[in-house]
Amino acid sequence: MLKHLFILIWNKRKQNFLFLSELLVSFLVIFAVFSFLVYYFQNYKKPLGFEYEKVWSIHFTNSVKIKNMDSLSMYYDNLRKTLKSLPQIEKVSFSGANIPYSNNNSTTGLTNNGKKYNRINNYRVENEYKDLWKMKLVEGRWYNEQDITSTYIPMVINESLKEEMFGKGPATGKLIGSLEDKIKWKVIGVTADMKANGDFYPAGPAIYAKVDTSAYRWMRNALIKVSPGADAAFESRLYKLLSGTLKNSNIEITHLTDMRKSKNEATIIPMIIFMIIAGFLMINVALGLFGVLWYNINKRRSEIGLRRAIGAGGKSVSYQLVYESLILATMSLTAGCFFAIQFPLLNVFDIPASVYLTAILLAMIFIYMLVFLCSLYPGKQAAAIHPAIALHEE
Amino acid sequence: MLKNYFKIAIAVLKRRKFFTFISLFGISFTLTILMVTTAFLDKIFSPNYPDLKRNRSLYVTTVLLKNSKEGWMNRSPASFYLLDKYISTLKVPAKIAISSFSAATNTYVNNKKIIIEFKYTNADFWDILDYQFLEGKPFNKKQIDQAAHVAVISEDTKKAYFGDAATVIGKSIEADNVNYKVIGVVKNVPRTMTNIYGDMYLPYTVSKANYKEPGLMGDYNAILLAGSDADVPKMKQEFNQMIAKVPINNKEFDQFYCSADGYFEGIAREIAGRDDGSSGVVKLISILSLLAFLFLLLPTINLVNINMTRIMERSSEIGVRKAFGASSRTLVYQFIVENIILTFIGGAIGIILSVIVIYYLNTLNLVPNLNLSLNLAVLGYTLIACLFFGLLSGVYPAWRMSRLNVVTALKAN
Repeated sequence: MLKHLFILIWNKRKQNFLFLSELLVSFLVIFAVFSFLVYYFQNYKKPLGFEYEKVWSIHFTNSVKIKNMDSLSMYYDNLRKTLKSLPQIEKVSFSGANIPYSNNNSTTGLTNNGKKYNRINNYRVENEYKDLWKMKLVEGRWYNEQDITSTYIPMVINESLKEEMFGKGPATGKLIGSLEDKIKWKVIGVTADMKANGDFYPAGPAIYAKVDTSAYRWMRNALIKVSPGADAAFESRLYKLLSGTLKNSNIEITHLTDMRKSKNEATIIPMIIFMIIAGFLMINVALGLFGVLWYNINKRRSEIGLRRAIGAGGKSVSYQLVYESLILATMSLTAGCFFAIQFPLLNVFDIPASVYLTAILLAMIFIYMLVFLCSLYPGKQAAAIHPAIALHEE
Repeated sequence: MLKNYFKIAIAVLKRRKFFTFISLFGISFTLTILMVTTAFLDKIFSPNYPDLKRNRSLYVTTVLLKNSKEGWMNRSPASFYLLDKYISTLKVPAKIAISSFSAATNTYVNNKKIIIEFKYTNADFWDILDYQFLEGKPFNKKQIDQAAHVAVISEDTKKAYFGDAATVIGKSIEADNVNYKVIGVVKNVPRTMTNIYGDMYLPYTVSKANYKEPGLMGDYNAILLAGSDADVPKMKQEFNQMIAKVPINNKEFDQFYCSADGYFEGIAREIAGRDDGSSGVVKLISILSLLAFLFLLLPTINLVNINMTRIMERSSEIGVRKAFGASSRTLVYQFIVENIILTFIGGAIGIILSVIVIYYLNTLNLVPNLNLSLNLAVLGYTLIACLFFGLLSGVYPAWRMSRLNVVTALKAN
């Protein structure tokens, strides 16, 4: 039966060429949409890894004129003390410009056993950073006051980096190299991944480097965790206090909840536009397929009438038409899959292969459903053709 | 003859209402998307308030410093020092506007936070850009030299800070814990014009940072205005000669790139420019055309498909006409005209749809102050798109039709 249908289609390959190419392009469009959706969904499912409520960021332009390292460090210590003295502020940590949900990023390269790892997020942290975000430790410990005395510079890494570098085994106590292996760091702890780029992006490998005196020149943010009682009046007072302390800086206080919202919107809004366009394209295609199939049935009235006359039931005629379109869809999908499968094979955009494979599967199901639904009604029409009338027309 | 074709086209459209609906749906939807995109691009690329002199302006936005041995690179806005010491000595530009990129700060009114993006400018800034002053006037050179604490604010800032006050000239506004006297209120600027956008404009001399600090990287950008359109290439040449003379004075870097671009060129450089200082105009145009082509592909195939079906349905008519001596060329011509008529009807529906979509997008205010509109230019582009789309989807079916054998066509009846 299938072989017979296949021959029927092959004989009309020229007429079906447009139909096939339309399905092929539709498949590729749907594949692209599903790739995005699956990628975002997979990341969305992963735990956030930190708490952003009640965290504020104080961004200041760094215009401190102090050249001496010791006095610079004292300057920031004083600022910290001022902030800590306020009862509404629970935790304080200075950081670089790349705080979670900001649009800045800072990456670095590391080496381990002679292998180079690039594009590793480099977060600058202090002792209270972990508790401020309520980050979870997977193994080892976070920084404490005694770290200065150790021989190697201590370093905390995240789970993604640990898995890339050390696989399943423990990482604590291992040495990793920076700056072409010139500096050695000792891993003291591994934290759970922290999705700092919004809900729809992975955390990526990261190191949490403790701020040392030389890094004070790059300080751009003070992160504070405030108590539930901190309101707008407090924020306004805090702002006045800060402008008095940081005399030559421009200061901006932002709530992490707002930053998170705009970061997520930057992903969601283009996606919605993309989906609306793809949705309209699909309606367009569905109507087109429906029209073409319908027309084909009218053209084949005599053939169908003949089949009915020699004993084919209405059901088998309508099945035949549905099968035919599904076989056409299969031909398009085979070609489409050939293109789509290149993405996981060539590892395009560095996205896990599972995303592409799921997207291919979903897109195939979608196209089959589309073709099935579009051929259902024309199939029914065909079943309703009366052999006597159809043959009489001939 | 054309009138006849028109009549036939309408008759055919009426005969198969379902197919007509599918075709019109596809065409109007595709053109709507194209039109909204064009309106958006037109808003970005063609001269708009307040930047009306784009034809004779060149924009300096970024400097690129490179260490060719280690492969380091640093891209940043230009410094005030570079623009003031070297660029402002150029002879060809009639005027040079220097302003900082806007930076955000907070101010609190009755414990309500207002985010203000402020920027520092020089006096020429107000001459080159045609800001529309709702009240007051800009600050002048004298006020800048005296480092007067005066501010020009945007309509939005006025509303957020002063509420519904009728006039705010002479009142004081506090931002970043400093008080400024308001001397002017201007109409809002779209957020897409990053180089001139601001909620509050201040004289550069009141900047808290040390703007005189030597170095090439900073937060400033410049607009060079030529006396006439013809002077622009000369101005560019003079600029490049000057940049070649600027010493780097930084041990970490050995290469320095900075360019004065036309508006489109500048955006292309930002999006697609490469590290060696070359602009990405060709790259950006090819990317945009590729995207447009991919987007058009599916509706076009669909339309071709539907057109094929329509033509095959009319095989008897074609057969008769051929039998009576109509040449293939006449038939192809007739069919393409019919198809273009169909596309234009679809285009008319598309225009109505775009007006609705654009109205809706404007109320959503996705990009602050960016008010999309359908103007003559956009309609002109749409007309071209309609013609292109009509030809594209009509040619192949018409060709197939013209090759139809008279005997089979008549027999199919």
